[in-house]
Order: sequence, then structure tokens, then C-alpha cells
Amino acid sequence: MGDAQDEIEAAGGDLVVIGNGAAHFAKAFREDLDFRGTLLVDPELRAYRVAGLRRGRVEVLSPRLGWNALRALGKGHRQGAIEGDPWQLGGALVIRPGGDLAFRHVSTVAGDHADPEELIAALEPGLVPLPEGEGGSALASVARPLGRLVDPLVPLSFSRPGYAIRAAGFDPDDLVVDLGEQRWLVTGANSGIGFETALALADLGAEVELLCRNPERGAEAAERIADSTGNRRVRAHVLDVSSLADVAQVAEQLIDRPVDGIVHNAGVLPDDLIESADGLELTWATHVAGPHLLTRLLRPALEAAPAARVIFVSSGGMYTRGLETRDPDWQRRRYDGVLAYAETKRAQVVLAELWAEAFAETGVTCNSMHPGWAETPSVESSLPRFHRVTKPFLRTPAEGADTVVWLAASPAAAGETGRFFFDRRAVGTHWLLGTRESASERAWLWERCEKLAAPFVVVPSD
Amino acid sequence: MRLSSRLADLVLSDDRGEDVRLGDLWRERAAVLVFVRHFG
Repeated sequence: MGDAQDEIEAAGGDLVVIGNGAAHFAKAFREDLDFRGTLLVDPELRAYRVAGLRRGRVEVLSPRLGWNALRALGKGHRQGAIEGDPWQLGGALVIRPGGDLAFRHVSTVAGDHADPEELIAALEPGLVPLPEGEGGSALASVARPLGRLVDPLVPLSFSRPGYAIRAAGFDPDDLVVDLGEQRWLVTGANSGIGFETALALADLGAEVELLCRNPERGAEAAERIADSTGNRRVRAHVLDVSSLADVAQVAEQLIDRPVDGIVHNAGVLPDDLIESADGLELTWATHVAGPHLLTRLLRPALEAAPAARVIFVSSGGMYTRGLETRDPDWQRRRYDGVLAYAETKRAQVVLAELWAEAFAETGVTCNSMHPGWAETPSVESSLPRFHRVTKPFLRTPAEGADTVVWLAASPAAAGETGRFFFDRRAVGTHWLLGTRESASERAWLWERCEKLAAPFVVVPSD
Repeated sequence: MRLSSRLADLVLSDDRGEDVRLGDLWRERAAVLVFVRHFG
């Protein structure tokens, strides 16, 4: 350690070591290695996340670990007890006065260290700094127009190849963020896109509240997320979003502290007409009335956060339907679950726009998105034939959740409001004639939601 | 936003328990930040 420090100092730099264990282990590290530079502890992994360093079991358990460990042992190194997050990988940065980034190494497997010679060479005066904030590689510049080209080809665009083409154009730095100060709520978080969203937000350091209908599955999902991210600030609450009384009860438990975001993800696709506890058609209750009430009741907690974000997880199926205002509860039509699903997903897109207007004078933003065709337990159970035919081409749940996570966490999405997103881009909301709603139909949606919410909204007395 | 700007305002404790603002580390000289997997 001493030699490396001498070389770095001679080249005009200061060595700073950041570890994720506790201070007493850092002291032992200083003594054992005779380290005289700055030694920092980051138990919450905040700097690790901002630096874009990776973690994960697969990488840590790579076969290369064994090889590197053997080489280290051959040189006389012995690893003691592990302190800190064992799944966190390391890396190195060289930052010059003025903030130019001269070197960046992100470990991809345990024992994958930065090359000391390259690191010291980065201290050379006059070296050109690394490019930053240019949105990635040459591949990205090809992927972006190609992504737009496949837009009209729905089976290609909505499926896995469409995601792969557009993902090549994503800026990898968009999700290099630390959500350690944030608290997020995700409905329907025990499986599919909701689970992947909650997992990704927890991995970025957020406190995550999972709102799930089934208590056992919710608790199990919270445990899995906590175990695989090392983030213990993950809790499950029981919530049936289709029940307004249930929503009001859970909102009361959650309003004690600021909420930095809500992901309205819970969804249903029943075969038959089912009436909710409040006498509404079940998909309308789950996708529209419940999310509206949750947003309405938690509005003070959202406005108390610095810049909260509300996200509705809609569906590409919404393109096929307009806003249904005449018979939203299927009292005068023969019930069709797929059409009811599409209608309520259209209603979510409109509702997100209306909430964006309602939040206009606040720091809160509201958007909707669609995940494309993703392989989730609900697609498999609700649309078995579609699932069977399209299975090889369906996106993974994590790919389906990507735009939700981007809208929730990325600085690139900050300030976006009232828009509809797909694969990290704002896209149009109407493809077919006759699906565009009028101003009075939009007003009807807001009024119906507000009327349903009214019994649960406490008006403060003067 | 540059990576250094995003890191600059983070405050971490050193091994003596003193707060250190990361941006202060590269104010006058280059900083070589080495993130270790863990201490031990």
C-alpha cells in the first residue's frame, strides 16, 4: 500500500479509500496496511451507487473469483472476516481539480481491480478527460433512429427485439443514482413488473413500501428484495387497491412521512364481470378508482417530498380503446375482460395527465407508461393463448419495468409530467381514429374519481 | 450532470468519525478514489 501511495502522491494525486464497512474495521484496515491517506466509510453505499459501481451475487460468485483469490494468496494475502455488504463490488475513479474525470474502473467480478499503471497514468497533466454525459457509444447513435423505425411494427416494437434495439441507445449513466433519501410505494409489488420495480428501487438505495393484496406473498417479496439488495428498508403492507376503504386505511398508515413516489402497478384481468366492494367493475376499481384515491390521500406526503414522482403502469392495449364514459361498469354491455382492461388502461393515461395538471403548482410530477409485452404471472394466467404464442418474444419482467424505474429514478426524467412513456421516450397516446377523448369526457373522469374519493377525504376545518 | 458534480456534495465519515465532503477531496489536487469491496 505504501509504494502505491508514494507513486500516486509523486504523480500529484491523493489516495482516498472508501469502504462499506463500519469505522472500527476501517481503523484496522489503516493499521494493517500502514495507510496514511483519507479513509472513508460508506455503510449505506451512497457513493458506490453514485459512482455506478455494481453489485450482485452472480458477479461476486464468478469463477474468476477463485483464480484471483488464489493469485492473492500466492502473494501472501489472507482475507479476514468480511465487514460490510459482501455483494458490493469495488472500483476506482481519478477526479482532477475542477471535477474532470480522468479514469473510471468498475469491477465486474470480485478481485477485478483497476490496473495501477493506468490509474497513475491518469494523473499525468495534459491528459484528455474521459467524455461524460454524451449518452453512450457509437451503437447508441445507430440504435436511436432504428428504435424509431420499429415503432409502427407493433409485434417487433412491443416485444423483446424492440427493447433490445432501444436499450442499445440508453444512456447507462441515467440510472447511476442514489435514492438513499427517498421513500417509494409500489402497488402489486410481489410479482412481475411491480416486483422488479421495487427490487430496482431498493437496489438504488430507496426505502420501499410494497403494497400487496396477499399478505404472505407480499412479505416473501419484501424478504427476497432485502436479501438480494442488502437494503433492509423494504416493508410489505396488505392492500387491495380495488377497495376504497382499504386504500384509505393504508394511506393513513403511510402519510406520516414524505413520499417521494408512487408506482401504480397493481392490475387485474378477470374473465367475468366482478363487482368491487364499492360496486364498481373490478378493473375500473383496481386501475382507476383505487390509484386515484391513494394519490389523493397521500397528496400532502407527496408535496412534502422535494420532487415526488407518480407513475401509472398502463398498457399498450390502451391504444385500442377510447375513454369509456357511457358504461364504465359494464351494466349495459356483455362483459369482455380484455376490453375492460384496455379501457381502464386508457383511463389511467388520461388520469395521469389530469393529475399532472392538478400538481402543476407543486413539485410533484405524474406520468404514465407502458411496458411492452412482458412475461409476467398475470399475462400467463389472464391471457394464456397470447402467452403461449408470444412466449419466446416476450420481454422479461425486468425489461418491462425498465421505463418505470427510469421514470422513478433518473435525473433525465426529472420535470417530465403529463406524458406517456415507452422504452424511456415520451410517445403519442392515440393511434386510432375515435379514441381521442373530449374535454367533457376528461372532466367526467376526474369528477367520477373525486366523487368516489369524497367520503374518504377529510376536509380540514378552519 | 458530471459524475464529479453528483459525488461532490456527498458527505461521508472518515475512520476518526469526522465528516468529509467528497468535493473537497479534489479541490486542490487530483483524488484517486478507490472503492473497496469491504474492509477485511
